[in-house]
Amino acid sequence: MSSLHSGDLEEFVPASQIELSRFITENAIAAQKQIFPAGGRTSFSVCCPSSLSGTQICTSQLNKIIDYPVRDMTITVEAGMRIDQLNEIISAEGQRLPIDVPQSNRATLGGVIATNTSGPKRFSYGTIRDYVIGISAIDGKGNLFKSGGRVVKNVAGYDLKKMMVGSLGTLAIISQVSLNLRPKPESMCMVWFAFDSYVNVELALNAMITSGTRPTAVEYCNSKAARQIAAESRLELPSEHNVICISYEGPGNVVKWQANQIIEEWKEFSPLNSQIIEPDHATRLYNVFTEYQTSSDDPVTLKAVVLPSQMMKFVESATQLNIAIQAHAADGIVFGHLPDSASSLEDVKQILSQLKKSIDHKTGYLTVYQCESEWSDLLPLFCSPPPGWSLMKQLKNALDPNQLLNSKRFTELVET
Amino acid sequence: MVEQTNQMMNQDPESLEELESGSASFSALVQQLTLIVGEAGILFDADELLVYECDGYIVDKTAPDIVVFPTTTAQISAIVKRCNQFNVPFLARGAGTSLSGGCLPIGGGVMIVLTKMKNILEINLRDRYAVVEPGMVNLHLTNALKGTGYHYAPDPSSQGACTIGGNIATNSGGPHTLKYGVTTNHLLGLEAVLPDGSIIELGGPTAEVPGYDLHGLYVGNEGTFGICTKAIVRLTRDPESHRTMLAIFQTIGEATRAISEIIAAGIIPSALEMMDQGIIQAVEEAFHFGFPLDAGAVLLIEVDGLEIALDEEVRQILEICNSCNVREIQRADTPEERLLIWKSRKQAFGAIGRLSPSYCTQDGVVPRTRLPEILEFIEETSKRYGLRIVNVFHAGDGNVHPILLFDERDKEQIQKVMEASEAILDKCLELGGSVTGEHGIGVEKINFMSRIFNQIDLATMETVRNIFNPRQICSRDKVLPPHQTDGSSKITQSHPTRHAPH
Repeated sequence: MSSLHSGDLEEFVPASQIELSRFITENAIAAQKQIFPAGGRTSFSVCCPSSLSGTQICTSQLNKIIDYPVRDMTITVEAGMRIDQLNEIISAEGQRLPIDVPQSNRATLGGVIATNTSGPKRFSYGTIRDYVIGISAIDGKGNLFKSGGRVVKNVAGYDLKKMMVGSLGTLAIISQVSLNLRPKPESMCMVWFAFDSYVNVELALNAMITSGTRPTAVEYCNSKAARQIAAESRLELPSEHNVICISYEGPGNVVKWQANQIIEEWKEFSPLNSQIIEPDHATRLYNVFTEYQTSSDDPVTLKAVVLPSQMMKFVESATQLNIAIQAHAADGIVFGHLPDSASSLEDVKQILSQLKKSIDHKTGYLTVYQCESEWSDLLPLFCSPPPGWSLMKQLKNALDPNQLLNSKRFTELVET
Repeated sequence: MVEQTNQMMNQDPESLEELESGSASFSALVQQLTLIVGEAGILFDADELLVYECDGYIVDKTAPDIVVFPTTTAQISAIVKRCNQFNVPFLARGAGTSLSGGCLPIGGGVMIVLTKMKNILEINLRDRYAVVEPGMVNLHLTNALKGTGYHYAPDPSSQGACTIGGNIATNSGGPHTLKYGVTTNHLLGLEAVLPDGSIIELGGPTAEVPGYDLHGLYVGNEGTFGICTKAIVRLTRDPESHRTMLAIFQTIGEATRAISEIIAAGIIPSALEMMDQGIIQAVEEAFHFGFPLDAGAVLLIEVDGLEIALDEEVRQILEICNSCNVREIQRADTPEERLLIWKSRKQAFGAIGRLSPSYCTQDGVVPRTRLPEILEFIEETSKRYGLRIVNVFHAGDGNVHPILLFDERDKEQIQKVMEASEAILDKCLELGGSVTGEHGIGVEKINFMSRIFNQIDLATMETVRNIFNPRQICSRDKVLPPHQTDGSSKITQSHPTRHAPH
């Protein structure tokens, strides 16, 4: 156990879940300081505004493997384990957690759950909610509770695991997680298509619903993002236009067949270019797609969730505002890096307000994904209340009645 | 302090009224509900109510006082508001296929049957979702999607009867969950009437919504968070092709080893179903599929995906089965042959009906590699209690379904079934598993909750339930034991015929 001071934030590094539970209990009874759970700090700019003071709970020492029955393909670890460390352990057994996590050398498992982080593969493998089979967490009063277990199928009791997904450290501190794992695929390749019109992009994406292939990811980027992604991947790729990049995983012959098949299928949509990225380069390019959503130095990164059929309308509006766009296109998840010209808070608010107009407010959401930390107090993370917001508030009050867990952040999530 | 006391009193389901047929409040409630659903939409005659006294769990029986058949969300909201006004408990029922007493109307009250709300409201292939009413029969949705290239993936064994609303309440699985997941993995959003009559929406048709995953929290609430009135479900692409095999093994240990090795080889079969010797003999006696009667286990293995990938997967599976001393493998390469193989699995329950007047299907889970231990224990338990127990189950998930055969008319046998079930489920826990993989806690397993979860876990679950259902007016006395500090069950006292395990 150690206790460090850093600016206005004290730091507490628990060595065990019990120690953390005790600390939170004592805090709830006595000091009642604000508590900020911190994993790899990769989402801190939005999750923990710099102006806040209180105690930061650093989960870095909660990084032990509790149980890894390899042949059952499940693993139980403490929530502070870094994703790279987890991947290394399970990869040695030919297994993986099929969730794409940017900055995985720093990001922790608990953080991935709290921020509901996902990437391109979500199209075929789902998100972290689909892999958490058990969870332990500590609420604002210090109660260490669990839900689920260590088997892949289990409906005993309420599924409290789910409420922790996307909770941004405001409901309870995730301390231990059991995961369902998957086998690693034999190989992967990507196919890079360039299109000169939004219309053809939309036609191609629409045709994907009946494609003879089964992609693992369908990524879209506009030319601004495509240029950055191509440069970062150090591959010679045409990037002056709209790009759709599709990935396939599986046995080598099956992957190759699908890559050729999609090129054949999409000829009718007149791509300017189509190029198969062979397995040796595909992993590098794929990683760039995974990292891109957090890789920007731009002041604000937006995330929009829309119906896939309405995505290109949003993309067009965003592109006109000089925003670099990457999207998990088959899921309607869009990331937008604002241009450097958006240098003031007013500029950002204006862009947000313009973009909100191109989202159907009944079936679409705009959120701030990353931003300059001094702006994070001033921007609502959720640009509109999500469905069930009143229940979310009740849940927050029930699990954290003293409003100690990152509570200012919670009240600021929605613009009032 | 006064406020706290009131709150505690309000949370006690015993404060709810018990309706008495013919009483003034009964007549008034019937009249009010008739105004909402019409005379054709209400039952309150004792004989007609008998159908609703239990679901697929037949050990406990209690009839509701009134049954209503609403056709709209607004009607459900109005019914729930009347129940609150009269302080009468209510609960929802779909097809009544629950195997854990999820639809048991403890304390009587009003049962809201959703079978008239069975429409598909929207199918959107471009955005991969469908919106359906809660009484939609699971299989009817998949049938309606035929020819589109898409289907609804969760397929519980009762899919020909069970409803999507019931599937959401119990987080139903099925034989294809190993690859495709259970209901919670396919529910994008929902509309529900909360126990106070208000209408809420959670989640939505988009891939995700910001904030806490409340629709995820809602799935598996077993009817205690409210009444789901609309479901937005994800549609899954049909596989291009299937390959189905029946592998006959001498021992369960060899069959289990084959399962682990298939998955370790990177192949996730779409189904991995196991039948043990007892069920093989029953199926054979009834339907003559040609299974050797001395076989220890039969595995139904199905892989699906792109045609180009399947032959290699089948080759690997055959190689693995051979290395695990498989006795014989039957392959289905045509749709007709596939149907025949699945028939042997799906008719297993029909075969049991020929062996015994009643049976109790248990539902336990163990880590996949512990299957030989649990099956050996089940065999010992069968001998110890002198009960015939056969097994047909989802082996890939480690989800066992021991089927205990008995005669419902023999009280002593019922007691033995309860005790044997409890012993088996205890063993599942000892092996690191769970007492339910897909049937739910309901009333049947409520006393296990305090063995799986500690008081803090249960108190947290209660806190969460109280957000939705603070007075337990909606489907009372399910999932969570009455009060963790109070060992005696109030439910047992009010229902002396209950034989729930302790």
